[in-house]
Amino acid sequence: MSKKNQIIELLSAYLDGELSQSEKDEVERLLATSLELRKKLEDLKKIMQLTHNVKRIPESPYFETRLMALIEGQKTNTGKIKRWLPASALVLVTIAVMVALKINPDLINHFWEDQKTTLAGFYKENLQPVLFAANLTNEDIFNFAFNNELPLDNSRKQYLLLGYDDSGKEFFEIRTADEKLKRESYSEFISVMNLNEAQKEIVDSIIGSYGKALETQVLVNNKNTIAINPNLWNYRKAIFADLLIAAEKLNIEKFNRIVPAGITNEEKIRVVNAVERLKTSPEDQYIFITPDSVFTDTYEFNSELYEQELKKLEKELKRNEEKLEQFTLSIRFDSSLKHLTLDDQLNHPFIITVDPNICRVDIPELQISEIRIPDIDSISPLIEEATNNIQFYAYKVPKVERSDSGIKFKYFDGDSVHSYELNYSELNIDSIVESKHQFDLYRLDELKSGKPFNDSILSKYQFDKDYYFRYYTDEELQKQMEELQIELQQFGEEMKNWNIEVHEEVTKSLKK
Amino acid sequence: MVSNDKEKDLQQPQILSIEDDFGIIRQFIEGDKSAFQILVKRHKEKVRNIIYITMNNSALVDDIAQEVFITVYRNLKHFRFESQFTTWLYRITVNRCKDYLRKINVRKIFSPLEEGSEITEFATPVENNDVSKIVTDAISKLPVKLRMPLILKDIEGFSYQEISETLNCEMGTIKSRIFRGREKLKEILQPLERELMQ
Repeated sequence: MSKKNQIIELLSAYLDGELSQSEKDEVERLLATSLELRKKLEDLKKIMQLTHNVKRIPESPYFETRLMALIEGQKTNTGKIKRWLPASALVLVTIAVMVALKINPDLINHFWEDQKTTLAGFYKENLQPVLFAANLTNEDIFNFAFNNELPLDNSRKQYLLLGYDDSGKEFFEIRTADEKLKRESYSEFISVMNLNEAQKEIVDSIIGSYGKALETQVLVNNKNTIAINPNLWNYRKAIFADLLIAAEKLNIEKFNRIVPAGITNEEKIRVVNAVERLKTSPEDQYIFITPDSVFTDTYEFNSELYEQELKKLEKELKRNEEKLEQFTLSIRFDSSLKHLTLDDQLNHPFIITVDPNICRVDIPELQISEIRIPDIDSISPLIEEATNNIQFYAYKVPKVERSDSGIKFKYFDGDSVHSYELNYSELNIDSIVESKHQFDLYRLDELKSGKPFNDSILSKYQFDKDYYFRYYTDEELQKQMEELQIELQQFGEEMKNWNIEVHEEVTKSLKK
Repeated sequence: MVSNDKEKDLQQPQILSIEDDFGIIRQFIEGDKSAFQILVKRHKEKVRNIIYITMNNSALVDDIAQEVFITVYRNLKHFRFESQFTTWLYRITVNRCKDYLRKINVRKIFSPLEEGSEITEFATPVENNDVSKIVTDAISKLPVKLRMPLILKDIEGFSYQEISETLNCEMGTIKSRIFRGREKLKEILQPLERELMQ
């Protein structure tokens, strides 16, 4: 380092009060004589002023409560609450759901007047389906089936995300556009399946047939209530399964890449039954999120009347030459949390998490039989596999599979699938530990127990779909995946240097 | 159980001391599980903030912070009272952040940056002139080895000694990295000087 840099470096430590007395004296002596150094000192001060004023993240008052619930859950694995209670008496969280409907709401309001029930009272008044105004496109519906994400308004400012936590329980999140997935998966699906225009039209018509039904699954009103039908989770699977059956008919060759084992007749019957059931017997249980509570209750929805009203609305709009373009929905959440004890939190059926961009509601195991459709549940693994394979081929997302005996890495490159397989039994732990590679010191125990890399390698190469899809554009994602492929290749090579036998395999994929 | 008064006392960040942490950890080891919750309460905000500034992504904060505290929970019974609890806690925090960053950008993080070879990404002008946001974004463009010491020093107010223990680096290295972090930050922020002065 040059003498000049050494002195400047001392300036930085000088400002931090981290110099010895002699160093400090030296710096002050130089400062008195050098304009340049004084200027440098000023620059450093400015930077420090900026960094000192960086805003901190808002506090999370119930972080430890959720953490303890998580730890408890991991310990017992059965300690989850199975009760299903109307939560009106459990006033835990204040969630202010502010809904602004900017189209003329009176057009359909009187219809809802008839729908009032004295039981649910105040919060159930004037509930309106919100998704009709979002003008769901086929792309939206496909994204919902594939990525679990639905836009809540036609300006695409807020999204509803459905998900499953580690234990398989449902949750949903309302997210702002900033947190939206960047992928538009429909075109990727068409390209992986290699479908022509006419075939795409068939897929379009299947997707389109779900539009109307989806619209009534999310309701909102001017009482700051949002009601979500738990059947949305079933719809998501049904749409996807329905599309897979169609895909098989349209291009069996490409379909076999996505679902290598194929779909059995029995599974097809299950899908048809589930779709039929969803479309003909609507679920009248909704999850209500209101300013004071989250609860579940029935709500009858008259879809015939709804359709009539929609037609009227369309005519009215046409006459006034208005458009729905300006429709925006704004749901804001304000968490002014009461003092919760751990017991309160554990006894409440819902776990609610709010941050400036996301409101998440974890749903306990639902004891409502209608929501569990066995036909749908049994095809879940198929859907899971197809989703992973579409990502594997469309985005070249590598796969890391763990089995009892080892780890297998696979990636798709050009038209071939490359794979490496490592067996735990062949790992020479001593040579790995002695090598210069870094190990997580907190996980050394795992190395000794004979199952090395239990998580460190898996987490290194595991593809975090949600993260990448949310924050990366197509181009960036492609680049990342290519880099990941190179990493995997190198990893295979490194393994060989560690005296570990690596099984390599290259399989030509089916021709395009 | 920890009495209410004691719990109240321990929640005041101003009076955090090694002895308090050690006392709570001893209670936990002796079987009082509620002591762990107090430990979390005392330190969670600092841990969350380190993650927030490091990752520049609020959506990840609580997930990572939970992982950090779960690691602590599982290993606390082996704590040897030889160094400060916070040194260990922040080291886990920093390592978890690095794990996530590695996941996010496998290649960049894994190729060791040669001395002087860091690529400087310049900040681009933004419509929103929220100075704090501009600075946080700029910090996230620093290479991780410069970013971590700078965050611990300038945002969390650690001493060089504490940073050196947390990051397991020589004091001289820390001193140099903090200085280089500030220099690099100045370069990144240069095009935005006007916005920052407003």
